[in-house]
Amino acid sequence: MKLKSFSAALVMMVVVFALASAKTRDAKDESAKPAATSQSTQHDQDMRLEGEKRFHSNCSRCHAAPPKFPPRMMGTIVRHMRVRAMLTDDDMRYILRYMTQ
Amino acid sequence: MLCGGIQAQDDSSLAEVKPVPVLTGSTAYFTRVNGGQVQDAPTVSPLLLLPIGDHLLIESKAGLSETFSKNAQGDYAGTVSYGMAYAQADYITKYATFTGGRFTTPFNMYGERLAPNWIRDLQGTPISVPITSGAALGGMVRGGLPLGTDKVHLNYATYFSTANTNHILATDRSTGGRIGFFLPGPRLEVGASFQQVLQQDRPHAVGTHFEWQPNAFPLTLRSEYTRSSGTRGSGYWVEAAYRLSQIPHMGATELVGRGQQFFAAANLAPAVAKKLGPLGVDTNEGDWGLNYYFGSDVRASASYGRQFALGRNANLWTIGMTYRFVMPMWPTGGGL
Repeated sequence: MKLKSFSAALVMMVVVFALASAKTRDAKDESAKPAATSQSTQHDQDMRLEGEKRFHSNCSRCHAAPPKFPPRMMGTIVRHMRVRAMLTDDDMRYILRYMTQ
Repeated sequence: MLCGGIQAQDDSSLAEVKPVPVLTGSTAYFTRVNGGQVQDAPTVSPLLLLPIGDHLLIESKAGLSETFSKNAQGDYAGTVSYGMAYAQADYITKYATFTGGRFTTPFNMYGERLAPNWIRDLQGTPISVPITSGAALGGMVRGGLPLGTDKVHLNYATYFSTANTNHILATDRSTGGRIGFFLPGPRLEVGASFQQVLQQDRPHAVGTHFEWQPNAFPLTLRSEYTRSSGTRGSGYWVEAAYRLSQIPHMGATELVGRGQQFFAAANLAPAVAKKLGPLGVDTNEGDWGLNYYFGSDVRASASYGRQFALGRNANLWTIGMTYRFVMPMWPTGGGL
């Protein structure tokens, strides 16, 4: 009986935490968009397009697009994926730039 | 020229990014019905990423799960299982990464890329995946590089592993590697793998993998084939996933199907076949599933499969949710 209660509580906790987190992330993404757009230059646009292309070629092969994190977090995540997904050096740089803009 | 200019400026700005330690991973809760036997299994798989300087990364992933099912008295009883998936140090250079520690064996693509429960399209692991040793303790060299043009990328990995008999960290003494060719334009990858176990009856295994994501459709096609010279047989699986993003209001839904066949090694003694479990009996299986994405981190999944094994056919039902989490372990300084 205790195990069932523990199990049910764990499920509820996971679901509530996950849904709350997803909602917060979406809100953060929306608020970040105008600032990023206003600072776009032609160079940034070229970088973004190339980074987006490489993101879809490499990362989207396995998983859905993650939310954009602060650059210092994304630097770690992209370094991890450089190893795991065997990204090329250029892929890593373009994707890092794309995911931090 | 454009790319060269972009690259030069990119390098200087990237140098300002000082990565911080990150805790990521996933939690999941799944209910499985396998031939009428119900199991509930909450799991958590934390992954700690610790970057050091410009080239070093320490990464460690663990797993903890508890499986509840009815015992002989009709009561639910839980069984705890835990383990260390990998704990490795990576030194990253432009064309090669040098890895030491415990790591996932580079064989085909499922174990390294698709195994996390928030990534895999169907929760059941293909029967042929455990044919080879899944974990290694030793050293590895791996990397990805363009083959003179950005239209073809080469990825490679070669490793050696020592034997470890610890019940949590067990590994075989083995060596092997994988080579793959990835075409970013058509998003197509083909590759081949080899593994030689250097203990007991010293079996070797060969494998091939294939993945294609056509640009015109939100479709992913994947396949693996593995053949072992030892007692673990051979098998293949083919999987297709179609995201319904071209249908209004259905973009978060994904349909998945997988077919697989496993062929047990010939002339297995009954005791050996029993010890091998699923790898000891010929099996055909088809699975169909549905995934629904709540944002980018939360996913609900359900699937049905029909398994045809020698002397035992079964329905396989799975329903549950996964959640991928990411959090910094150090101040990030903001941004975004």
